[in-house]
Amino acid sequence: MRRRNFLKAAGAAGVSAFVAGCSAEPVDDGADGSGSNETGNGDATGTTTGTPEGPATLRIATYSAFVDAPSSSPGAWLKEQFESEFDATLEWQTPDNEINYYIERATQGVDIDADAYVGLDTNMLIRVDENVDGELFTPVDAGDIEGRDAVQSGLEFDPQGRAIPYDTGYISLVYNENEATAPETFDGLLDPEFEGDLLAQDPQSSATGQAFLLHTIHAKGEDGYLDYWEQLQQNGVRVLGTWEDSYAAYSNGEAPMVVSYSTDQVYANEEGEDLSEHQIRFLNGEAYANPEGMARFADSANADLANRFLSFMLRPEVQAEIAVRNVSFPAISDAPLPEEFAQYAKEPETPVTFSYEELQGNLSEWTDAWAQQFASN
Amino acid sequence: MSDATRAGEAGADAGGDGSTGRVGRQRSTVSGWLEARALAVVAVVTGVVLLVLFYYPVATVFVEAVVDDGELTFAPLLGVLTSRFYLVEIIGFTAYQAVLSTVASVALGLPGAWVLSRFEFRGRETLRSLTILPFVLPSIMVAIGFVATFGANGTLNRLLSSLGLGPVNLLYTLPAIIVAHAFYNAPLVTRMTTAAWESLDARTVETARSLGASPTRAFLDVVVPQLLPAILVSATLTFVFTFASFPIVLALGGLQYATIEVFIFYRVQQLAYADAAALAVVETAVSLGLTYAYLRYEARQQTAAFGAGARPAPRKRLVPGSLDGLSVRETLSRVAVFGYGVVVLVVFVAPIASMLLSSITAPDGSLTTRYYEFLVQRQATATEFQVKPLPAVLNSLLFGVGTLLLALPMGVVMAVLTTRRYRGRKVVDALSMAPLAVSGIVVGLGLLRGLVFGFEAFGYRFTVAGAIAIVAAHAVSAYPFVTRNVAPLLGNLDPRLVESARSLGASRTRALWDVELPLVAAGVVAGAAFAFAISVGEFDATVILATGSNSYTMPVAVERYLGRRLGPATAMGCLLLVVTSLSFVVIERFGRGSRGV
Repeated sequence: MRRRNFLKAAGAAGVSAFVAGCSAEPVDDGADGSGSNETGNGDATGTTTGTPEGPATLRIATYSAFVDAPSSSPGAWLKEQFESEFDATLEWQTPDNEINYYIERATQGVDIDADAYVGLDTNMLIRVDENVDGELFTPVDAGDIEGRDAVQSGLEFDPQGRAIPYDTGYISLVYNENEATAPETFDGLLDPEFEGDLLAQDPQSSATGQAFLLHTIHAKGEDGYLDYWEQLQQNGVRVLGTWEDSYAAYSNGEAPMVVSYSTDQVYANEEGEDLSEHQIRFLNGEAYANPEGMARFADSANADLANRFLSFMLRPEVQAEIAVRNVSFPAISDAPLPEEFAQYAKEPETPVTFSYEELQGNLSEWTDAWAQQFASN
Repeated sequence: MSDATRAGEAGADAGGDGSTGRVGRQRSTVSGWLEARALAVVAVVTGVVLLVLFYYPVATVFVEAVVDDGELTFAPLLGVLTSRFYLVEIIGFTAYQAVLSTVASVALGLPGAWVLSRFEFRGRETLRSLTILPFVLPSIMVAIGFVATFGANGTLNRLLSSLGLGPVNLLYTLPAIIVAHAFYNAPLVTRMTTAAWESLDARTVETARSLGASPTRAFLDVVVPQLLPAILVSATLTFVFTFASFPIVLALGGLQYATIEVFIFYRVQQLAYADAAALAVVETAVSLGLTYAYLRYEARQQTAAFGAGARPAPRKRLVPGSLDGLSVRETLSRVAVFGYGVVVLVVFVAPIASMLLSSITAPDGSLTTRYYEFLVQRQATATEFQVKPLPAVLNSLLFGVGTLLLALPMGVVMAVLTTRRYRGRKVVDALSMAPLAVSGIVVGLGLLRGLVFGFEAFGYRFTVAGAIAIVAAHAVSAYPFVTRNVAPLLGNLDPRLVESARSLGASRTRALWDVELPLVAAGVVAGAAFAFAISVGEFDATVILATGSNSYTMPVAVERYLGRRLGPATAMGCLLLVVTSLSFVVIERFGRGSRGV
């Protein structure tokens, strides 16, 4: 009997999955409110997007670690807080291809069913602008976003005012002082003393790897960075695929230095680890800053609600919570951060970053040239 | 299964394939009709599934290599083929490391097949089931295990230093990549060769011996030729897989050892599809060309000599009751087995044990259960958009069983079709292997653009995603394993067996079911285990087609639980290890019990 019930249930599950899995819908001809019932959002009951009655649904796209990291992530807290205050349902969307998923949808002429994106950086914006003909994100009038003026001006990275920074991180060296004391400068890394000591990441596939490459270009110049890397490679630098690969190798004692985040000690402290294994070094006194921004999709059917969400993200108490849960620095200066966070999250004297204009048209060439050289040696 | 058999019997009563008489026509039922045409039906279903879930999506990407703004151009392809960097540094290196990895995998895998098929010992069946385990491990877990085993402070170096030997630096070198590739692929060699060895008829050896051949001569002249197709097919697959290797290369070798797949991935990330597609076309051409060459070879090897089916020689006891009367030769062979055991411990057991260990070790080195507590807590408190362990386990099992049910008939029918004689058969055969030869990244992108975004027709947009699509996509990548496990054995069967059955009134399907499949059961079970393993280990298609929030699998959960601390991910990885180990043992026990089908 039980087996039969199980089979019946499994069969029913299979059928409903099939129904939910494959669909045919009239092609959207631009009419309002249609096309929002795209399959596979876990929202089989349709949607109330754009209807004046009942709680509206706000769909926010982001990267998966923002809502589902093994340590802590701000997603669940933000959803709860937002929903408790606004008469709305917040739905997170975390497609595996992240921003590329939406660029693809736009270029293939498929509707975009999200209202805003959280987790943009300069490089992604450039990719959006190079690939999407029309408008994927729309500039938001500062007057529509409460607290917009409080964002530190140094973090602004979108010349068109679409992306609003909500936090920032610094990419720096993390080292184990029991094994080696990291050098003070980029040139110091070339010292034979540090041969085989540094683990970095592939800038083609990793944000930290890309930031570190850009930092070397900033330090050594467009004409000098390839030579610098040639020497770095001769001194045994290891470029692994992802930050996870390299941090795992670092944790296993494979090398005493790794390219990582300047907030490393926040985790180490929470885990009760020996902080001597999590020392931070800002080469040349600098670190590459990677601000994260949020922007509203141009096609959002919930522009007002989306604006309210963007304002909500900039509130001081929300900013502090994002900083703690995402282990990053807030985008505003007066977020009430807990004392312990301030103690263990290190900030460089001089944050370094390339502007949108500086990266546009250069980023892929720089990276390509670097990758070809590095893979050839 | 029993229903199908009954339906089949009814069909057989009704006159088999319908051409043998009119008496049964009135009694012929729908199931009888189906039974008679089951091969054709499954072949058509296979074709449709392949077309929708593989050829169409992949074509949407490949077209970028030759079409620009609606104009036919070969510029991207020529760009790759005329670039010294791509040709020499990337494609050349990729092929070089793939050859080395293949040699290493065969060298490491063959002794395993010998031990498993020729010796009897406690736990042999279980060990045989577990040979497939490395196949399902997410690459990040293997990288973690390898760093912990072969790293500067790894188990191997600690062992060596306790013996007074100097440290070896294996990591971030070509040997590291090759050993890791052997970790993944030697079990494939072992498994396919064991299946062939177990289907080998002992009487052929006895005949040779009775005609005066020495054991060595008999082995070389009789056994080796029958094993060769299995060895070569596993070597071909190993080459194809390691040619397209990507995460392992980056994690254990670094970008200095970048393969073609690394650059395909990068181009896709940058949305530079023309370049990515051009690289993928070259990659696919190499892989498919090699597959085609192998298949031509396999066709020549098929001698159709072995009639009444496998009667394998009895296995020798690994641990003999007494040493008396044991010849020097037999003693030496046992010493060799134990030597091989040591190698297996180092290459396979140590990395997996290191991974298990890291799931119960806190950063300060003490034992801890907190990573497993994390899994329990996640299960209890996760929100609906977060990944929970239990649904991941259940989804993996469900998709695995679904894949098994879909891929087995697909693979067996393709094996039957490709062992028939007709012109261009090898081309069809090679094309049916294409799911193994096309870059996983390209397939993923194709699925996204072709199916998740859907296609427009008749004013509607059709989209395909969700659980059924995931199972179908898994089956597409899994069925070639069934085909390649079954086809060589099927090709070696005496066609007179089928002819006799047919002349006695059996339909083609019934002859397959009652006569051929029982004789190639070992291959079918091996293929079934692969199908399940492919499904459990698959990552790309799963994340892309599971756009909903509840179709994630165990490897997806491992990936999600990766963070600054490895613990949660390794704990999830160990859960994956336990669940899949049990599954494989069940598949093989069940498979043996029911004679393979």
